[in-house]
Amino acid sequence: MAAQAAEMERETRSSVDDGVVEAESIDSMYLTFAVGEEDYGMSIGMVTEIVGMQRIMVVPDVPDYIKGVINLRGKVIPLMDVRLRFGMAERPYDDRTVVIVLEVNDAPMGLIVDRVREVIDIPDDNIDSAQSFGSADGRSVVSGLGRVDERVVILLDVPLLVSDMDVIAPKMAKA
Amino acid sequence: MSANPEATSDKSSGGALLRVSSDKIGRLMDLVGELSLSVSETVNSPDLEGLDLVGFDAAAHRLSMIVREVQDAATELRLVPVGEVFRRLKRMIRELERETGKIIDLDIVGAETAIDKLVADKLYDPLLHVVRNSADHGLEGPEERLNNGKSKAGMIRLAAQQVGSEVRIQVVDDGRGLNRDKILKKARERGFFGPNEEPEPERLWKVIFEPGFSTAEVVSTLSGRGVGMDVLNTTMSELRGRIAVDSEAMKGTTVSLHIPVSLAFLDSILLRLGKQLFTVPVDDVAEIVKPGLSDLVGVSADKGTEVLKLRGSFIPVLRLEKFYGTKVDRLTPLIDMVCIVFNTSRGTIAVPVDEVLDRQQVVMKPLVGSLAKVRASWGCALLSSGEVAIVLDCERLASGEER
Repeated sequence: MAAQAAEMERETRSSVDDGVVEAESIDSMYLTFAVGEEDYGMSIGMVTEIVGMQRIMVVPDVPDYIKGVINLRGKVIPLMDVRLRFGMAERPYDDRTVVIVLEVNDAPMGLIVDRVREVIDIPDDNIDSAQSFGSADGRSVVSGLGRVDERVVILLDVPLLVSDMDVIAPKMAKA
Repeated sequence: MSANPEATSDKSSGGALLRVSSDKIGRLMDLVGELSLSVSETVNSPDLEGLDLVGFDAAAHRLSMIVREVQDAATELRLVPVGEVFRRLKRMIRELERETGKIIDLDIVGAETAIDKLVADKLYDPLLHVVRNSADHGLEGPEERLNNGKSKAGMIRLAAQQVGSEVRIQVVDDGRGLNRDKILKKARERGFFGPNEEPEPERLWKVIFEPGFSTAEVVSTLSGRGVGMDVLNTTMSELRGRIAVDSEAMKGTTVSLHIPVSLAFLDSILLRLGKQLFTVPVDDVAEIVKPGLSDLVGVSADKGTEVLKLRGSFIPVLRLEKFYGTKVDRLTPLIDMVCIVFNTSRGTIAVPVDEVLDRQQVVMKPLVGSLAKVRASWGCALLSSGEVAIVLDCERLASGEER
């Protein structure tokens, strides 16, 4: 997994080096991953690495969807189970379960997802904004829908996702 | 002037000084922390189980010892003499002398006392408030002092001393002291004490650190010790420190700050409760008690409050599961647990845990992001096993701090 992350990092870096035009495209690079039957994507800018499931240590006084913390080379990182955050049923972790490590507003967070897929480029033109997803009950974690060939990737508002604000989960939003 | 901090620090270093950015030292500290974790991971690897490796064990032991020494040496890198802070305050006092027309003799003691640079940097502002208050309001003008039979010059002493794993920094003045009547009146108005309650001096003086206690009225009428004192309070809790005030009318006031030498490493006792690990600073633990049946009292009338009887006094039992609202099927009966007894400023409390695991030097990290809201904790601790524990702040635990 670490190798995969390193690979991805290299990819990102090389595209930076390629010049102005390519540099802009970093903003349109998305890491896609699966939770349940759906494909989600988040901007790659906040992703620091992807690691396999680690030993989770339980901590008190956190919301249910924070499963605990891991010690990643001396860094203490809280883990959010994205299924629980979305109000989906919990599922036992298996060897494809991975942790996407993010750095949002200087604070680390690990997202537990069913599996990662790939890094893809989704130009803004292929993204439908999702202002219709919000409601009086809160903001939706969905920031838009990205069209990639025949597939739809649900793009997430990461800062909102990792905050402790009440959010509307993607499923409910779509219904 | 009893000591010259600059001369002292040069002498104690015994050689040329090197200027290094704190980022580099921070990086080194992180790496040393990781090094010690991965050494312990290697040495305790399950793959080695059942193997008879005499030579390896000896080498592993030596390696662990060296890592521990490297850790100590790295910690020391960040220690600076507290005299650096005192020197800045000295300039401030000269300025205050000019402003107020008072004559101030400054006495500095223990300037060579070592303290974490991170602590030293945070210490200046709160100390400035204390010193300014002493100079401004504690000390009398020359005439008043002569009339009261004191020397013409007022005295302010900045003293530092290491006491165990803490550094005690004192600001002492020989001014007019705190005005008990006025502070008590104000404290009663604010509801800190009952109308007829006569609190102990130490308890009374503490109210001057309460946020907002420094009202304009207090400033003008009672020697102004309210100003900025709540800043001191905030900084002290960040630094895991304590404040104590002692004052005697006409004789002067002493403000003492007790601060841990290093913020990075903590000598702590490791506790397990269910699946969760906690640590507490060793100095906070008053006693560890294995309660017997006759020592426990349940008060069903008061929502099942539990009380521990210890040498004739009754100590309220504070369950962490209840405090944190952890979901548990059933609370373990106290008879099967171990109680950690803490003396706090709000009285003694007993915190039951399943097991006391170890006493160890842990690496402290702040709680950030979604962990910042964990109540009653100083931060988290990285254990030598690589596990993570929450460092409990028994003061805030006892105060029942709400979310």
